[in-house]
Amino acid sequence: MKAMHRRSLLKAGLAGTAFLAALDRSLGLAQAQAAPKRGGTLSYAQLSANRRSADARNARHPYFVVDANTRLQWNCLTWVNEKLDVEMELATKIEPTDDRLVVWDVALREGVRFHDGREMTSADVASSFEYHRRNAPFARQIQRIETVGKYVARFTLETGNAEFAYILAEYNSVIMPAGSLETIGMDGIGTGPFKIVATDANRSMIMERFDGYWREGAPYLDRVEIHNREGQQESALNGLRAGQFDAVLTIDPRAVQQLQSDPAYDIETARGGYSFVIQLPKHPGSPFLDKRVRQALACAIDREAIVRVAYGGKHGWIGNDSHLMVTDAAFVPRPGGRDVAKAKRLLAEAGFPNGITLPTLYFSPQLPEVPRYFQVLQQSVKDAGITVPIEERPNDGYIQFRTGDNDLSKGNFHKFAMTAVGSRNPGISLFRMRGANVESGHWRGPEHDRYMALYETAMVTRDAGRRKAIYAEMQAILHEEVPAILPAGGDTFLVKRKSVRNMPYHPQIWSIRFDHVWKA
Amino acid sequence: MIVAVARRIALSLLTLVLLAIFVFVATEIMPGDALDVTLSADELAMIPPERLAQMKRELGLDRPAAERLVAFLAGTVQLDFGLTIISRTPAADIIAYPLRNSVLLAGAVLAAAIPLALALGVAAAYRYRRALDNAVSAGAIIGYSVPEFVIATVLVILFAVLWPLFPATITAATRDPAHVLLAAAPLPVATVLIGSIAYLARILRVGMIEALASDFVERLRLTGVPEWRVLLLHALPAGVIPSLTAMALYAASLVSGIVVVELVFAYPGLGQELVRAVTRREVHVIQAIALSSAVVVVGLNLVADLAILLLDPRTRR
Repeated sequence: MKAMHRRSLLKAGLAGTAFLAALDRSLGLAQAQAAPKRGGTLSYAQLSANRRSADARNARHPYFVVDANTRLQWNCLTWVNEKLDVEMELATKIEPTDDRLVVWDVALREGVRFHDGREMTSADVASSFEYHRRNAPFARQIQRIETVGKYVARFTLETGNAEFAYILAEYNSVIMPAGSLETIGMDGIGTGPFKIVATDANRSMIMERFDGYWREGAPYLDRVEIHNREGQQESALNGLRAGQFDAVLTIDPRAVQQLQSDPAYDIETARGGYSFVIQLPKHPGSPFLDKRVRQALACAIDREAIVRVAYGGKHGWIGNDSHLMVTDAAFVPRPGGRDVAKAKRLLAEAGFPNGITLPTLYFSPQLPEVPRYFQVLQQSVKDAGITVPIEERPNDGYIQFRTGDNDLSKGNFHKFAMTAVGSRNPGISLFRMRGANVESGHWRGPEHDRYMALYETAMVTRDAGRRKAIYAEMQAILHEEVPAILPAGGDTFLVKRKSVRNMPYHPQIWSIRFDHVWKA
Repeated sequence: MIVAVARRIALSLLTLVLLAIFVFVATEIMPGDALDVTLSADELAMIPPERLAQMKRELGLDRPAAERLVAFLAGTVQLDFGLTIISRTPAADIIAYPLRNSVLLAGAVLAAAIPLALALGVAAAYRYRRALDNAVSAGAIIGYSVPEFVIATVLVILFAVLWPLFPATITAATRDPAHVLLAAAPLPVATVLIGSIAYLARILRVGMIEALASDFVERLRLTGVPEWRVLLLHALPAGVIPSLTAMALYAASLVSGIVVVELVFAYPGLGQELVRAVTRREVHVIQAIALSSAVVVVGLNLVADLAILLLDPRTRR
């Protein structure tokens, strides 16, 4: 028998691995390209919180349904895709009628039916937005909504908003059959691909295919069962492992690391799902009044280390100290990267040649990786002579603790603290750094005023390219001024069985669509 | 006897009034309110402070505490716990089915735990300091010491994942009939049952050891009464009396306190509803749950007291 040399053994091993990889790829490709199959039930658990507690009376109302599920039974006028670009949904065209971008005409898709068989018209849109503008924070900018024709609705805004189309895609902005302000939405009737069959408040929702759905050929599934496992990831994953669930939405990065090697499941990733803002209070006596201290902190943080340790290197991304997500086309990376020498120099110029001890940085475990995230941050800034005591606070009551008020005499000034930030369009994201919002640490001064002036210009700039240039200028101000720090963010994930096909995740979980999900 | 019964009932009512005031004060000092926690950070960032203050006024969140205490006590007397702050639904409606479900789970556990614990406790006491007693005592310590979430996890891995006999997580609805819920709940029942048997067997064993060592048992044996009569008809009632209050309180704690098990298995009971209400600062729901739990505890304690009065004439003085 011929002896086997180490080199030939290695060659054989490599060839075998390559063959298996090719086979796996071709099988995966075949799986992805297989023709969609109709029918079947998708049963999934979702982990995100619905803070508006539903009960038997309102469990079908869109404001009380967990946002991840709203696009099953409703549609909005527009939809934000996975790249955060806006697309038409129930609208076919959205156009401003004036140069100030205050009045917008929305042309509606014709022939769209509600689950009760009625045709959707502009009266339904007007009625829905009468409710939204009173109850949804993002829709409060709408001053008036009127019908212009059967299929055209006119929106009048408080001030111009070039990105108004994004507001129409928010999870609260669904179109419901017209009704009074007291009763609209209570029946759960929408235009979406599935209609509600049964609900158990805060717990589950059973839905069946709507045959009159306006998107041709959709949906593929006959039935969807949603089980709420808010804050109960282990219970949800036990259900997945035991075969009770086909998928679990919004699992955390640690669970991803455990599950991704299991051949029974697929992990779907939505890049740029969320980030964390660290607000830097600028009240009298705060070290953050000095811009150089803020800049030094921004330079000293090892953002790559945070991504590496808190997100395993591949499930996170480096932030740019604005509220924009990395996937946003307007996102401009922070120039320079980590620069410990510069941080030390800035501190010395600010009167701290031997380093500085900052106030306690508070965080709450809003997501599982948060403690690790802030431990890495704490360690990394030590290189620049910055000492940051960190303290974990309970989620319970954290909002009040973090925001406090704006009056030092009351002894409850807002804190040097973090909070999670969701993924939104540039207009909303950059507006969050306004001085009036606590997340900016109540930033003031000429650069703030210039920032807000640019924002106002962007909001009345029709041309998207020109707006993007203004957004870049705004981010440059943030990079220089550092009113707040957003060091790094994470992706969002769902886990599903291999038999579930075409179920990509979305950085805005309320925009996930189930129209073309199918089961093999 | 009548005076003793009246005294216990009056004490129970006083306890409930004090508990009601305590519950109100405890919910008052919680940070934040229902509106604050309803809004996400993203939404909060878009709302001007003056609009937030107006929303709080509209929901009555700025009313003085004293005014709310009076309304709370007046409502409690009529079993009206008020409306939820955000969705304006009676709190009593929200907790009715979860309360039924928790009573159901506790009932199933007790129905199995009491006879098993009795058998083990009696057997261990009868074979005091012998192999059987040592085995029961050691098993009880282990069963009582292992946290419920560990037992739950092991049971899920064994009987839901590796050998899929039972559901790992309960998908039955809150208002499903009792038999549907119970059929879905063998693993939660088993999880609580292990700890319950361990706890009850331990306290029953102690009571039985004392009873079997007492003079009247010795006298019965000397007079030639058969051993099984001594054990079951004479020692057992005497051995159970000291354990009655502890057993009643344990049963009450099962109704109001199986939070961990409810969360692990997503069982639609009172514990899960309480966690949700606390998270959302729905103070009326928290108050309703706390008070109904208190009523169960005080009520079962009263039942145990009355049973002791019936069984033990010495306590009637």
